[in-house]
Amino acid sequence: MKYAKLLKCIRKIPGKLRNFNIFSAYGKIGFVFVLLMVLTGIISVLFMGEAHKIPSGASLEAPGLIHPLGTDDLGIDILAQILHGAFVSIQVGFFSAMLAGIGGSTLGILAGYCGGWTDKLIMGICDVMMVIPQLPLMIVLGAFFGPSLRNIILVIVILSWSRPARIARARVLSMRQEGYIIAAKSYGAGFRHLAVKHFIPGILPIILVSIIRLISKAIRAEAGLTFLGLGDPTSKSWGVILNRSINFSGIYYTDYWKWWVMSPLTVLILLVLSISFIARDMELLFHNKGDKL
Amino acid sequence: MKYPLLKVEKLSVCYKNTDALAVHNLSFALRERESVGLIGESGSGKSSLALTIMGLLRSSAEVHGSIRLKNVELTCLPEQELENYRWSKIALVFQNSLEVLNPVMTIGEQIAECIRRHLGLNNLQAKKKTTELLLMTGLDPLWAKAYPHQLSGGMRQKVLIAMALSCDPEVLLVDEPTMALDAANKDEIIKLLLSLQKEKGFSMLVISHEFPVISAMTSRLLVIYSGNVVEEGNTQEVINNPMHPYTRGLVYASPAVNPYRDMWGIPGEATMPSENQCSFLNRCSQRIDRCACELPVLQTVCEDRRVACTRGGIVTLLKGSSLCKCFHVRFREIMACSSCDIEVKAGEVTALIGESGSGKTTIAKILAGILHADRGEVFFQDRKVSGNSETSKRGGVQIVFQDALSATNEHFSIEEIVREPLDIIKWGTKNERLKIVKEALKNVQLPSDDLFLRRRAYTLSGGQRQRTAIARALVMTPKLLIADEISAMLDPSTAANLLRLLKGLQIAQGFTMLYITHDLALAQKISDKVYVMSKGKIIGHGPVRNVFRENRSICLG
Repeated sequence: MKYAKLLKCIRKIPGKLRNFNIFSAYGKIGFVFVLLMVLTGIISVLFMGEAHKIPSGASLEAPGLIHPLGTDDLGIDILAQILHGAFVSIQVGFFSAMLAGIGGSTLGILAGYCGGWTDKLIMGICDVMMVIPQLPLMIVLGAFFGPSLRNIILVIVILSWSRPARIARARVLSMRQEGYIIAAKSYGAGFRHLAVKHFIPGILPIILVSIIRLISKAIRAEAGLTFLGLGDPTSKSWGVILNRSINFSGIYYTDYWKWWVMSPLTVLILLVLSISFIARDMELLFHNKGDKL
Repeated sequence: MKYPLLKVEKLSVCYKNTDALAVHNLSFALRERESVGLIGESGSGKSSLALTIMGLLRSSAEVHGSIRLKNVELTCLPEQELENYRWSKIALVFQNSLEVLNPVMTIGEQIAECIRRHLGLNNLQAKKKTTELLLMTGLDPLWAKAYPHQLSGGMRQKVLIAMALSCDPEVLLVDEPTMALDAANKDEIIKLLLSLQKEKGFSMLVISHEFPVISAMTSRLLVIYSGNVVEEGNTQEVINNPMHPYTRGLVYASPAVNPYRDMWGIPGEATMPSENQCSFLNRCSQRIDRCACELPVLQTVCEDRRVACTRGGIVTLLKGSSLCKCFHVRFREIMACSSCDIEVKAGEVTALIGESGSGKTTIAKILAGILHADRGEVFFQDRKVSGNSETSKRGGVQIVFQDALSATNEHFSIEEIVREPLDIIKWGTKNERLKIVKEALKNVQLPSDDLFLRRRAYTLSGGQRQRTAIARALVMTPKLLIADEISAMLDPSTAANLLRLLKGLQIAQGFTMLYITHDLALAQKISDKVYVMSKGKIIGHGPVRNVFRENRSICLG
């Protein structure tokens, strides 16, 4: 049975691929780049072993045939580090965005549906979170929780759940006035039915866009935190590479910065940009009721 | 109190050759100078009753019970003595047809024969009396020499009246006096009979199936069904406010009573009367199990009104009493409705009309239990409505909203929308639900194939969405449907089809509707009762024809 279902899914793929055309050119580029990053991240973790840890050449080699992006001060291949860092960045981005998106929208639905003091409480915390300057808080929290990947994700989630929560609440508030919710309630529908059948499908598109935006925010935040030395120093993420390269005394006196600083920075910018392109396309699609997706 | 001139008690008539029970346990009294109407569908036993009273069915039917004229029991009299009473005391104006009169005798001869036999006058006197009678009924005495086939229908009716009155009877039974006559002749015959009654002072039993005739000629009305009297009361009141489903069916079927409305007959076939169940059972829209176990007897339900129904007449399905609702909008209080009383009877379409902003929708939502009233209570079938207590089950109340686009979730498929209530109340199996969904879609004239069921709601037009919403309400088989301007979004043809459909369901299943509209023409066309609302108050209500006649200015203003 399961096998048959799987086959059915596989058979549907060509049809889904045709739908790829609904993205704009930028969106397509972004999508391909994100996919590339995900794949290289996975490949590096699975097949490249310790390449990002073990020196494989002389220190501070310029980009060449063996080391396409050169090596760092310890002679470790920078490309290998960046590929491995992609995995960390995407991991952080995905998990923190998902947690913040799901958690935030759940709280938002509850606030919108229950109203009263639940609404006041949740929205109150939300307002506080939005008013507090994020970077200082992030630094404080990062220092407080201590450096580890899990804690970074936690900090990012704490700082970013309020946006999806507000979006979800606003949508649920307006949906509550709709005839179909009133009708469903009159048939005796409870919160579970309303949430599963109406609220969640109703807010899913906007929450999805907001989650995608959160991914790029989380990637930036992770890079920022580790750059400041508040991240996990052993994680070998892009932030760690940047941190180490900038802290290398006299880096700008030499040409080393051209590959050691620029390459992690460029992939970071490209990845965030790509995700933004996808988010923009998704927003347009949902706005036009993209049933084709 | 006037002494009953003719008293019929527990009369049963059973035809010998077919064993058909034509009249069953029927009792009524006719007082002096009174006219009583007898109305019913054809085959309900009206004519059998008239013939039995005349004693003309003795040979072909078994008669039980008593028929007393003053103090004489007619059923016990031997044929010879009955002859003396027949025509001279009780006379019958036969149903008008060529067969009643002897085609080879002239009119004059036929009337004179009657006079000679019963009054014992000689030829000359009889001829003189014939001339008098013809003049009395407004016919030229010259017609006495004519043969029946030479007369028009109206003239023949007059001849029949003249014959019946030839012996100055005390009781006149009139069987379908105006059948097959045109409006002018009808009017003339009615006036003639009324003026003759005034002059001669006889009592009349008018048998007819036409409400205008009964209404013009009688003061009291008996409604007869399958040989049983099902309702009795003052003629005007019975017509204005029928209390038995059968009477209501008859009134609704009559365009003369309500010229704007659609005509709808009572569905189903009449059955034989039976001792232990209601004879109207199979056609009744408000039957319950008890109706099949006992024969209802006539019971007094209010002053001067008796109804034979196990449920005590047409039941009041929904009752809202002194409903108040106030909205607080930006430091202002808006009284959406104040002390509104509303009553919806089973099997009727009640229209709530009023300009927009008069509080119609608020009332509808309170009645459905969606809004909580500040004051007042709503009862559905004598149960208090609180929250979704009546909307969350099959056979309860359903409401269809005005805005169909908001009433259905645009991301749902058609099947999901229509099936949702069943899913929520967890009714039946998946296949049973699907079957009901398809049926409901068919009922609202939407396709029910799989392709359509899978379509998303936003691909539908406004009218289709509205019908989907109605189908969703119909899967719950509501007893009462509160429809808030449901035809406002539909094109005229679809609206007409939909309203006819709802009306058909109403006639067949006894489904009741509270229709909220500002369309007066529509309200006149479909509704039975009307409530007029203005500025949060109910300013008039009653049968649709009365409300529109009395409150013309209010309705239009």
